[in-house]
Amino acid sequence: MRSVFLLQLQRLRREPALVIWMMVMTVGFIFMLGGLGSASTIDVPLYFDASMDEEEQDVLLYQLNESDAFSFSLIEEQDAEKRVALGEIPYAIHATAENYEMLIAADDANHVFIDQYVRQVYVDELRLQQVEQSTEDPRIREEIDQNLSDVPLRLASETVDGEEQGGGIDQRNQALFGMTLFFSIYTIIQSLSKVAEEKRTGTWNRMILSPVRKWQVYLGHLCYAFLIGFLQIVIIFAGFKYLFGYGVGDSFGSIVLAVACYTFAIVALGMLMLGLVKTLEQLNAVVPIVAVSMAMIGGAYWPIELVSNSIILAISKVLPITYAMEALKQIASNNHDFTALAQPLSILLLFGVVCMGIGINLMERKM
Amino acid sequence: MLETTSLKKVFKKHLAVDDVSLYLDKGESVGLLGPNGAGKSTTISMISSLVKPTAGDVTWDGKSVVKQPGVIREYLGVVPQEIALYKELTAVENLKFFGRVYGLKGRALTERMESVLELVGLTERKNDLVKNYSGGMQRRINIAVALLHEPEIIIMDEPTVGIDPQSRNYILEMVQKLNREKGMTVLYTSHYMEEVERLCDRIYIMDHGKVIATGTKQELTSILSSEETIVLELDRPYPELKSELADLEEVHRVVETEKGMKLITPKNSKLLSKVFQVAERHQAQIVSVNVQIPTLEDVFLHLTGRKLRD
Ligand SMILES: Nc1ncnc2c1ncn2[C@@H]1O[C@H](COP(=O)(O)OP(=O)(O)O)[C@@H](O)[C@H]1O
Ligand SMILES: [Mg+2]
Repeated sequence: MRSVFLLQLQRLRREPALVIWMMVMTVGFIFMLGGLGSASTIDVPLYFDASMDEEEQDVLLYQLNESDAFSFSLIEEQDAEKRVALGEIPYAIHATAENYEMLIAADDANHVFIDQYVRQVYVDELRLQQVEQSTEDPRIREEIDQNLSDVPLRLASETVDGEEQGGGIDQRNQALFGMTLFFSIYTIIQSLSKVAEEKRTGTWNRMILSPVRKWQVYLGHLCYAFLIGFLQIVIIFAGFKYLFGYGVGDSFGSIVLAVACYTFAIVALGMLMLGLVKTLEQLNAVVPIVAVSMAMIGGAYWPIELVSNSIILAISKVLPITYAMEALKQIASNNHDFTALAQPLSILLLFGVVCMGIGINLMERKM
Repeated sequence: MLETTSLKKVFKKHLAVDDVSLYLDKGESVGLLGPNGAGKSTTISMISSLVKPTAGDVTWDGKSVVKQPGVIREYLGVVPQEIALYKELTAVENLKFFGRVYGLKGRALTERMESVLELVGLTERKNDLVKNYSGGMQRRINIAVALLHEPEIIIMDEPTVGIDPQSRNYILEMVQKLNREKGMTVLYTSHYMEEVERLCDRIYIMDHGKVIATGTKQELTSILSSEETIVLELDRPYPELKSELADLEEVHRVVETEKGMKLITPKNSKLLSKVFQVAERHQAQIVSVNVQIPTLEDVFLHLTGRKLRD
């Protein structure tokens, strides 16, 4: 079994193009969908209405820049209008004391988050002003500020409803988790398809004729496919967490655990597919269909929360990617409720065991 | 030592092997001759325990291979019809892997690798990637892998398909050496009559899943002892000539060859003048006429009415 496993690694070292390509694609798509740079630096150009005095401007700019997710910088009004019109910058904000306007060049995924955030800042400020006026206590603002910066409260507001504060964190994680899980399906099944390839070229028969047991050969291949898929996902998650500051949660260990369960489920799904197809060509034709539809339905392309169609939701309940997304999002939200995590993970394992059993049986029947 | 009794294999209603009984004694070199699709590979797969027969049995030293595949595997080396190697790896890496799979390691493995590389003449190119080898070299390393664990019997499935004459000759000499000098039992499959004639003590001729004739080369050609082969060379193909020649009473079989026609007729028949008449009627120019002693090829033609290679 070890020889079979090591041999596959040796073969990968000779021809690593496909795995590398899948990782490049993953990273590319995450950047495209999740945005470049770290979560704290979505740059937003801003200019003030002439009606605002300097103090008002400073206060507002300070308030806006309190978030880690956005960085508001000043720009000249004419400049802003011209550059947005030309599409050189995607958006700019025109701020007045009580309200604001957003100039938008093209459809940019971020503007929704910026809009949401800026509105929140204005609403909060208006409320504070109302409170100030009604209580006539000059220290009320400081007190509230004090309370807001209290750790438990802020933690709660960031985690329970990340959209409001973090701005884009959800979208970034959606892209990171979704794309990584999606592309890993290709890598895993491609690695596993070496079984079919060996059966075709005859090297499989050579091993079967040797003293090595058949289950050892299978196990060698399964371990290899598992390792490649697992490493691909973990490396990408680690890279985006530690290099690009993606907020995937504090517990990387939990992520590794969830990834292991998911990888196992996909390896098993691969075995089932290998058992169902007749030729390697068929497999290559089926993999994209399965991967893409699974990613669409299971919430890897867009959040499953956006789906309301009950049929799609029902189908999503039998797809491993749904549960992996669920588990990862939970970990990312720092929700350390173990039972909440245990459920999707055990479903993944169960799915894996069932597919693996059927898959190996189907494959052996073909002999 | 190895025997099959009434082997039969049906693939989804298609009868691939039908009632094949054959045997090999220790140290013998036996040929399995037949055209593509005759059922040779399927027979071999059943012998080597890779495919379960629909009916019949294979025994090794009296023990059933069908019931216990293990009884034959360690004594058996199989050279598959296809190049069953990892082409993106080097020859040495392939040998190392399959050696390990057979439980060889350390010095023993190195020695065996050197020995088989020497045998197939690839010592100098051993660190090249298999995909960069010529067809002939790939065939040779394909054989080498099957010899790593020093099997008692080697089964070769068309080991010379599609390679240059030099490599082919090299392989034939190698097989002869293994059989004569090392006493290895050989089951050699081919659709090239010359190879089987040259290598094998005894020959089974297969067609459509059945063994249609068996014996030594002499025994087989003596099937045609009362006949002879007339080879006509014509200036160009005359397809219409064939049926007319076949209608002649003394002609047993007719087949078109590259340069003309081949007829199997009784010895000393007064046929030639009739052949000339037919040719004249079609205004066919006969370039040459040759009367030959029948070969195995002719035996196959005689038995089936077809050429071995179509
Ligand atoms: N796995 C299989 N499934 C279905 N038919 C097969 C299979 N293997 C071989 N055959 C058929 O059985 C016949 C004999 O094939 P084979 O043993 O490969 O012949 P040979 O080796 O003499 O060329 C052919 O008609 C072939 O199409
Ligand atoms: Mg064959």
